[in-house]
Amino acid sequence: MTDTAITAYKDPKMPPPVDLPEGPEWVGVLKVFDAHAAETLVTAAHTLYPHQTLPERVYRRTVFAFDALAAKLPAVAQGFAEFVDLVDGAMPVPFRDLSESYRVNTLKAIEATPAFRLVQRSTVRFLYDDLEVWQAFGYEGAAVQLGGYINRGFNDLDWLPEPPPGI
Amino acid sequence: MMTQYELDDSGVVVIVGSGAGGGTLAHELTKRGIKVVLLEAGKHLTPDDFVNDEWGGYEMLSWLDKRTASGTWRAAKDHPLSPSWSCQVVGGTTSHWSACCYRFIEDEFRAKTLYGELPGTSLIDWPFTVADIEPYYELAEAKMGVTRTNGLPGLPANNNFKVMYAGAKALGLNVSTGRHAINSIPYDGRPATIQDGFTITGDKTGSRWSTLNVEIPRALATGKLELRPQSRVTFIEHDDAGKASAVVYVDAAGVTHRQKARAVVVAGNCVESSRLLLHSKSARFPDGLANGWGHVGRHYLRHIIQTVWSIFDKPVHMHRGEIMAGMIDDFVRHDPARGFAAGYYIEMNSMGLPTTAAFLEPGWWGRDFVSVIEQYRNMAGIFMSGEDMPQPGNRITLTDELDAFGVPVANIHYDDHPNDLKLRSHGYKTLSAIHAAAGAKRSIEAPSYPASHNLGSNRMAAKAEDGVLDANGRAWEVPNLFIADGSTFSTGGACNPTLTIVALAIRQADFMAKQMAAGEL
Repeated sequence: MTDTAITAYKDPKMPPPVDLPEGPEWVGVLKVFDAHAAETLVTAAHTLYPHQTLPERVYRRTVFAFDALAAKLPAVAQGFAEFVDLVDGAMPVPFRDLSESYRVNTLKAIEATPAFRLVQRSTVRFLYDDLEVWQAFGYEGAAVQLGGYINRGFNDLDWLPEPPPGI
Repeated sequence: MMTQYELDDSGVVVIVGSGAGGGTLAHELTKRGIKVVLLEAGKHLTPDDFVNDEWGGYEMLSWLDKRTASGTWRAAKDHPLSPSWSCQVVGGTTSHWSACCYRFIEDEFRAKTLYGELPGTSLIDWPFTVADIEPYYELAEAKMGVTRTNGLPGLPANNNFKVMYAGAKALGLNVSTGRHAINSIPYDGRPATIQDGFTITGDKTGSRWSTLNVEIPRALATGKLELRPQSRVTFIEHDDAGKASAVVYVDAAGVTHRQKARAVVVAGNCVESSRLLLHSKSARFPDGLANGWGHVGRHYLRHIIQTVWSIFDKPVHMHRGEIMAGMIDDFVRHDPARGFAAGYYIEMNSMGLPTTAAFLEPGWWGRDFVSVIEQYRNMAGIFMSGEDMPQPGNRITLTDELDAFGVPVANIHYDDHPNDLKLRSHGYKTLSAIHAAAGAKRSIEAPSYPASHNLGSNRMAAKAEDGVLDANGRAWEVPNLFIADGSTFSTGGACNPTLTIVALAIRQADFMAKQMAAGEL
């Protein structure tokens, strides 16, 4: 699903979107996570925020951002490792191979842990900061480089009565 | 070439913090010919450095040092290490703010008298009346270019406002786009808004007033100001007579300096100002500078702030345009018939997708959250700022943990007062009713985000036993120590505090200049 009525932009001064390989070899670009940890975190991000219309690559980019954070902060790396251990230890099957209801129940059972909090908050932080997600849900992002919205629809809502001038 | 003062020049006024209070005061003092050293912990950025990016701007501008939180407030659960929010940059939190500029009303300066005895509160009246501050509100509005004052037109209606307007009109409420220090037309050498929706990540165009783009450049132009960015103040010293004599700070290279001072003004935003006073202990002030009565850090206020986000059938694109250009004032006045004391402003709010997702309900996950956030394009936001009750136990204290500069990390304790919860519930119902009347399919009552209206923790009072400061923002116990930020507020009022902070800074400059001319400061 893509909103064709808008075009999303990142500020030109921000780092450009990451282009990850499409195949399973994408994990090769990670600095901290091994393939199992990375795929487990992708599954967790998807279970937390299951947008059926978003492609797998946006969840991979989210975990790519986790990895960059973990590379900078050892305590954060430890938190992600604890999360993978927690969710894998919950059932006789690795988390990433569980059905959805078991994955949801596994996450609900650890909601109070710092490791869950780290993964849930980090997923929100990075998943919804992704240009492809902005485009999908109708958020246009940076505007100053296009002259703002003064001539690009800041007042184009037409399904409610028009307020009087000077209101 | 910027004016430079020697570290042992004891003729300078040292101001700590360059935001709405400190930045304004620096300009107001220097234009009266007074020598000022302005110390700011953050960097001196330019509009070119700023980005149109919510998280990018947050990380660039925010005071990110660790704090801790306790008490019943949601921030302790949702944001335990960042319960309060302000900026660390030249311009302070005026580099971020959304520019709502409302005046306190007459009643709000006599909260104790009007609200009466409310158990658990530490209400006082302000030590002056609305008549004392009115001339300074006028000067502040002119300096800031506030819309709907001085012949300046209001901001135009944007998409999010159209939703607010439709609902408010259906309910018979008094609605307008409000008053903002954002240019609707060119004013004072600054351009009109281009409605980019990013005033709060630094404002690249300069259509919004800030101390970075107005007060500090003009203060520098007087030749009386030395601005020292990346200067982190760690201690205030006093002399044998009990007067503030020097400020200790650490520069960007990690070198510690000691700037002598004729007078010291602390303007570090509520939490940092109280923290600095509490940390500046001596034999004479064993509980912290100017804290003989034990009020430093107490009576902390953060306003009843919350947003309702609603989903409509058709696109709103709320992110387009100035984010808070809407206001309803029907609930501002204290009305005992509502069942609680004090009042609230209804304002508009919009956020981009990144922060909407983060603050909608921190901790919320699963298919229901997904079904809401996927409809971002059809979302509208409406906001309120209301008066919370001062309580002596709601306070900033020092913990045992030291930061990188050897200063204890601050804890902020806040318990909601029953009156706060009544006002909160009333407000949520009103906000949701407005959106429902405009056709909302579903409304989400979002909790407060980290406190940005930080007030009251070094309050002014008519008597020394009731507060840290006198009516001029001067410490009762240290005659050349002043505070110039929201921590001076005797009570919180309902409206966004910046206009009042600026008005008080101008008033304080008048007082200080007169004292100096009379040889008393």
